[in-house]
Amino acid sequence: MRHYENLVIVKPTLTAEEIQASVAAIEEVITSNGGEIATTNTMGMRKLAYPIEKNERGHFHVIYYSAEPSVITEIERRFRLNEELLRFVTIKYDTNREITAWNELVKKAQKKAETSKVEEPKAEEAPKAEEAPATETPATETPAQTTATAE
Amino acid sequence: MAERRKYKKRYCKYCEAKVDFIDYKDVAGLRFSLSERYKIMPRRLTGNCKRHQDMVATVIKRARAAALVPYTVTRKTVVTAPFENLK
Repeated sequence: MRHYENLVIVKPTLTAEEIQASVAAIEEVITSNGGEIATTNTMGMRKLAYPIEKNERGHFHVIYYSAEPSVITEIERRFRLNEELLRFVTIKYDTNREITAWNELVKKAQKKAETSKVEEPKAEEAPKAEEAPATETPATETPAQTTATAE
Repeated sequence: MAERRKYKKRYCKYCEAKVDFIDYKDVAGLRFSLSERYKIMPRRLTGNCKRHQDMVATVIKRARAAALVPYTVTRKTVVTAPFENLK
């Protein structure tokens, strides 16, 4: 088994659910070929440095996994057939130094996944707090306007 | 008579930080070794050692393939700076 990393860019024209489905399908390709996914890291929708197939943006997703070297050609063949993929980059982590770097990257990605789960409920609370004063302000303004028109 | 050094002595930034591996997704870290037009800066200007320059070069090429760093910047495409949308 060798350590690999795949960066995958999914088409931006899909809806959020379709993107998730296609990402799951991509991970399925790896697992069905005997790869063991360590972690995944969603970088989200980003602007591309240059247009690919006339798309200016793309959904970035990184998958860290270990697999047999012979499997990679099959995985890449399946990726090429997938029309929802704009681009994929496969990187091999071969030497000892690279393998330690791979382990650190996996740890970082796992931490990021945990923190993002914690932050999600906080992000939901924040807009609610903003909404409350926003609804109050027009209420206070309207009586002032009505008095002005009455005069 | 020994010839006086014309430029200040350059040192390898990566050696000083004891970098063993550079991640191609960390685009902000690659900015140092890229020119304004996103060309790979030569070793004589950045002061990188041979080992780290080789690492930087392969990493930048990977980042280019992954559409994180542009291959070329012309007058038409110069408007969009890819480092702006970093999170």
